[in-house]
Amino acid sequence: MRYSEKNTPVDKTKFQMVQKDQKIYDKKFETKPIGYFKDAMIRFSKNRTNVIATIILFTMITLSIFIPVLTTKNYEVLESQLRHLPPRVPILENFGIFDGVRYVENQEVDITTIDPETGLGVPPRSLYRPEFIEMDSLINYNVACSTRIESCRGGVVSFTLRDESLGATFQSPERLTIVSSQEPKLVINVTEFSDHNGVSLDIKVDPAFTGNYETLISITEPGVYELDMANLLNNPSFVSSFLRFELTALEPRASVTIDSFKFYTNLQEEPVMDDFGYALSIYERVDGSARTPSRSGAELLMSSFRYDVYESALGEVERRNMASTEYYGIIEEFEDVCTKIDNPDNPNGWFFTEGCPILEVKNTSEPVVVGGIAYYSYHLVINYALYAGYDDIPYFFFGTTEAGHDLFALTWVALRTSLLIGLAAATINITIGIVYGAISGYYGGKVDLLMERFSEVIARIPFLVILAIAVAYVGPGITTLIIVLIVSGWIGVASVTRTQFYRYKGREYVLASRTLGAKDSRLIFRHILPNGIGTIVTASVLMIPLVIFTESTLSYLGFGIGYGQSFNVFGVEFSGVSIGVLLATGRTELLDKPYLTYFPAIIISILMITFNMFGNALRDAFNPSLRGSE
Amino acid sequence: MIRYTLIRTVWVFIILVTVLTINFILLKNAPEFPPPDQEQRDIYYNRQVSDGFMTIVLERDAETIGNIRRALLGDTEAYTLVRNARYVDEGDQFRIYKPVPLINQYFFWVRNIVTDWNWGYSTRVQPNVPVWNVLSSRIPVTVRLNIVALFFYIPIGFALGIIAALRKNTLTDNLISLGVMIFISLPSFVIMTFLVLIFGYTLGWLPTQFPAADVTGSIRYTALILPVFGLSFGAIASLTRTSRAELTEVLTSEFLLLARTKGLTQTQAVLRHALRNSMVPLVPGIIGSFVGLLSGSVIIELIYSIPGTGRIFIRAMTQNNYDYNLILGITAFYTIVSLFAILLVDLSYGIVDPRIRMGARK
Repeated sequence: MRYSEKNTPVDKTKFQMVQKDQKIYDKKFETKPIGYFKDAMIRFSKNRTNVIATIILFTMITLSIFIPVLTTKNYEVLESQLRHLPPRVPILENFGIFDGVRYVENQEVDITTIDPETGLGVPPRSLYRPEFIEMDSLINYNVACSTRIESCRGGVVSFTLRDESLGATFQSPERLTIVSSQEPKLVINVTEFSDHNGVSLDIKVDPAFTGNYETLISITEPGVYELDMANLLNNPSFVSSFLRFELTALEPRASVTIDSFKFYTNLQEEPVMDDFGYALSIYERVDGSARTPSRSGAELLMSSFRYDVYESALGEVERRNMASTEYYGIIEEFEDVCTKIDNPDNPNGWFFTEGCPILEVKNTSEPVVVGGIAYYSYHLVINYALYAGYDDIPYFFFGTTEAGHDLFALTWVALRTSLLIGLAAATINITIGIVYGAISGYYGGKVDLLMERFSEVIARIPFLVILAIAVAYVGPGITTLIIVLIVSGWIGVASVTRTQFYRYKGREYVLASRTLGAKDSRLIFRHILPNGIGTIVTASVLMIPLVIFTESTLSYLGFGIGYGQSFNVFGVEFSGVSIGVLLATGRTELLDKPYLTYFPAIIISILMITFNMFGNALRDAFNPSLRGSE
Repeated sequence: MIRYTLIRTVWVFIILVTVLTINFILLKNAPEFPPPDQEQRDIYYNRQVSDGFMTIVLERDAETIGNIRRALLGDTEAYTLVRNARYVDEGDQFRIYKPVPLINQYFFWVRNIVTDWNWGYSTRVQPNVPVWNVLSSRIPVTVRLNIVALFFYIPIGFALGIIAALRKNTLTDNLISLGVMIFISLPSFVIMTFLVLIFGYTLGWLPTQFPAADVTGSIRYTALILPVFGLSFGAIASLTRTSRAELTEVLTSEFLLLARTKGLTQTQAVLRHALRNSMVPLVPGIIGSFVGLLSGSVIIELIYSIPGTGRIFIRAMTQNNYDYNLILGITAFYTIVSLFAILLVDLSYGIVDPRIRMGARK
């Protein structure tokens, strides 16, 4: 005191009392208090990316719930007419992507369809209907071929002696009619003899219908040979015979390559018979077992074009053999628009008015009368879109599958299944983990040691071992899936719970409650667990994407669920199609129909990414040690 | 340290024996699928007898024979057939191949492995071929693939992690973190499918399938590229994430500040002090990641038709065509590899960082 007096040069009167006349009350906080959850919310929403991820995630979950219910498109019934339609999306189709047009490559051209004006041909009508081929995208090109089919044209044909034989005779498929007065002339074009010793080619005909073939000429050198048949034959005026040639050699495996056999008469400029390429390749061996002649230099005319798959599948489609019941069913359903109009050109058939799924009946079969009612079988043209219940040609955003299911709806169904399994398995794991971790952490000591060792052993069992055992006992399916997912899935949760219990079990309030006589179960469930549960649950949120990850992998490998399976949860039937199943089926057609793979793959990728971001953000937001750090 | 090593090694062996025993007993107790072909089946059963897993019992009693015949035709009440036994009708007698009790089978199994290295015979995949012969050509393929992937992903993962940590909260870091988030979330089969689709089919740069073993030339090496990529992406992402986290922590520590204060440049400080210290928890993690790679390679092998252990495992697990002996062999291989990797992880903690005296008494 003395010290301060000494050193205080300030005059006492200069001091003023603060709030001398005021009473001090408790003041209200001007800002609102920030609680644990509020703080977590603030930190959670501060990170813009995480908020966006969360919004996307919850949109996807909502979509997976509502789209399977609300969709008008079929994802359950087999509809083979709609199989493998490519994706078609409104707006985007105007830019040439996802326009429902497939680029078809390497289709063999039906030679009869070649248009003389453009010189371009299209595949046979039974495969691709020409009216849906975009003609300006059509190109024709030749590829090499060696098969014995008629459309494989041109080239030369090699005949070879097989194995150890030294001679073989081949015969033309059709008879040659030789009339001596017509100046018959055979032109043989041989291009190559193999390097073997004494290879010779004898051309023969049967001049007297006796089956005795006489040699006309023996050829040993390549070249073009002209045979005047009128002189070579022993002058019968008319002969009808197969053309034969015999290949002989002094060494086995000799071969001869023939370009063509041509047969001319004076009746026409063009050869009567012109065997080359395919026609030559079907000459059969007559002495001994046949050996396919090999062709080289032959070409097959192929085409590539853009094909309007939607129009061809859902536009006018010809149907044969539609049963009476179905026919009348349609007429009844579309009663107000289906009115018969007579077809003046076809007395057996008739048209229908516009708007009716049946456009035209071409004809009907003879009636079968059962119980006084005549049943017909109809051959008709239908508008498949109307017939299948669509007002117009529908848009399948992701295309359709092998079974004609709408992949868009199916993807959301699959996502729903994946999410459901993820949620179920995660719930089981979290429950087991909490109980196990609680016991282990609460009791500590020997119990803890034993339980830790046990969970260590379980955690060390390789996943493939569990999979093998589960598959051996219950086979692939939902049960195996759940077993594999939960056998070691709970261990992470258990260790988090255990840590939380070690943290809280020594606290004063627990001790106080224990002194008051609370039982173990009360301490665990009323005092310790509620304090740790936030951390435990947020740490476990990441289990759901992990489980979905494993589920899709297993289903992809074929050990999980699959088509045709379904399971029942609280009376609601769920489809056995998960994203992994969709991807597994898409894998077999990766090259031709990549959309079967990339849409489900993109959806599961987005789901996994957003789920992980959401889980991480949630964990960070609820982490008490980070509280108020930002 | 010796004590700790011993305890861990013994413990790994205990786990190994437990897992293999559980696996053997459960699989052998399941309904068996002997070779489908009659001749192969005879060989198989006789071998089962000579290996000690079965005994032959002759049944001559006429009444019992009749009952067995009826039971074989589906009348289960006439006679209780022993599971996994085989009944051969020889007219006046039945030759019955009866499995010996499981516990005896187990001992014979262990004895055959220990004395002859005989892991049994394949039943369905390659009937009557010793399991070891089936596997011995496939194990190198899988191991080679995984080791190449290991050496591919470690430098890349580290490099990305270091870059991200040094440029924390810049555009580079954000881009790397985004990539990490994406690749950690994507299932490896999705990544692999896209890789094959893009580089195999669309661009045509790399083979779309693993070539057969007798193919020579550069395709043997180019064929490794896609599976290694498919295996590594996830591993790179997680290594980047952990190394970034470790390095950021070390970069903010006091000793690094001290290093800077005493005059070291940023590069010197990072290279000499930060990196080394951040390695400590990473090295065991890398050894452990080998286990993850190995099980991830099953699916890669399937997609890319690689003739490794994973693909043969899937084949041995074809529904109702199970080849238990082969499954046992393959799972034993995976178990042994993963447990020894785990042992290495445990031991490496003590070796990498002498400050950590694992298992030392307090």
